Amino acid sequence: MIFRRKNKTFSDNELMQQIVLGDQSAFSELYNRYKGRMYYYFYRMLGNSADTANDFLQELFMKLIEKPENYNPAFPFSTWFYSVANNMCKNEYRKRGIRQEYQEAEALEPQIDYLSDSTIEHEQVIVKIFETLDSLAEEHRSAFLLRYREGFSIKEIAEILELPEGTVKSRLFYAKKMLAEKLEYLKDQIEF
Amino acid sequence: MNKNSEQLLSKALRNDRIGEPDKAIEDRLMYAFLLKNSSVKVRQNSFSSFAGWLFSGQHMGMKAGFVSVVLFFSLFNNQLAFDPGKVSASDSITSQRILVADSAHFIQLVDSLRVDSLN
Repeated sequence: MIFRRKNKTFSDNELMQQIVLGDQSAFSELYNRYKGRMYYYFYRMLGNSADTANDFLQELFMKLIEKPENYNPAFPFSTWFYSVANNMCKNEYRKRGIRQEYQEAEALEPQIDYLSDSTIEHEQVIVKIFETLDSLAEEHRSAFLLRYREGFSIKEIAEILELPEGTVKSRLFYAKKMLAEKLEYLKDQIEF
Repeated sequence: MNKNSEQLLSKALRNDRIGEPDKAIEDRLMYAFLLKNSSVKVRQNSFSSFAGWLFSGQHMGMKAGFVSVVLFFSLFNNQLAFDPGKVSASDSITSQRILVADSAHFIQLVDSLRVDSLN
């Protein structure tokens, strides 16, 4: 019907245009699309804390409410949104003063806890992956999450992190190398 | 890195469950959104969507059909015909007279003296 709102699925960009005009249902739709993903990102990036992830999730969407016009429709929304989230994480790391320096592979050698095939469980894999990632600098962690959790391409990750594609590749390479050493059973499958 | 290990890592991470964000966040955000946009004119339940549709290029056939029907009935409805001063006489002779509201402008063609008074 012409008097009713169209019941169609809007793209993120279209929702953003409606949000700029003050459409609350568009904001609600966008929130529901991204809340889980952004919550996960903050949770894993900021020390696996639910409280911190909730605080950052709220702050991220508050930025969207306050200045929706900051978004440039010429670019994909998800890339821009993750870029804002990543900058928030960077600022938080600066605030905490726990930004880690690039760690050499040898430095972690004594901590490596190899898993044998017989003991592999899904939860263990996840725990070990994040133990390893937590020991890396946040730059490596963010690249890894964006690639393997969110499925972004190298080019998109480069845009989000505002880095050259080569740097993204080297960060992913390093993260995978660390993982392979940590999770011995992955070694056969990961090629360098 | 080969495909298997890419898939393995992706699968491991995508199956990772950490729970849901606090539901109160959504309420707070909706409230903040309302506050921020309280000055923005209300678009819900307004005719803006109808006006937008009316002046858009959508459903042109339907609009043209509707206009044709309206025009058709308008043209063939005598009640709406505007033809002032045309009075049809019973003998089919029509006399064209201009009807003016102001009687002072009415030109009396016949002598106002009564004919029978002359007799």
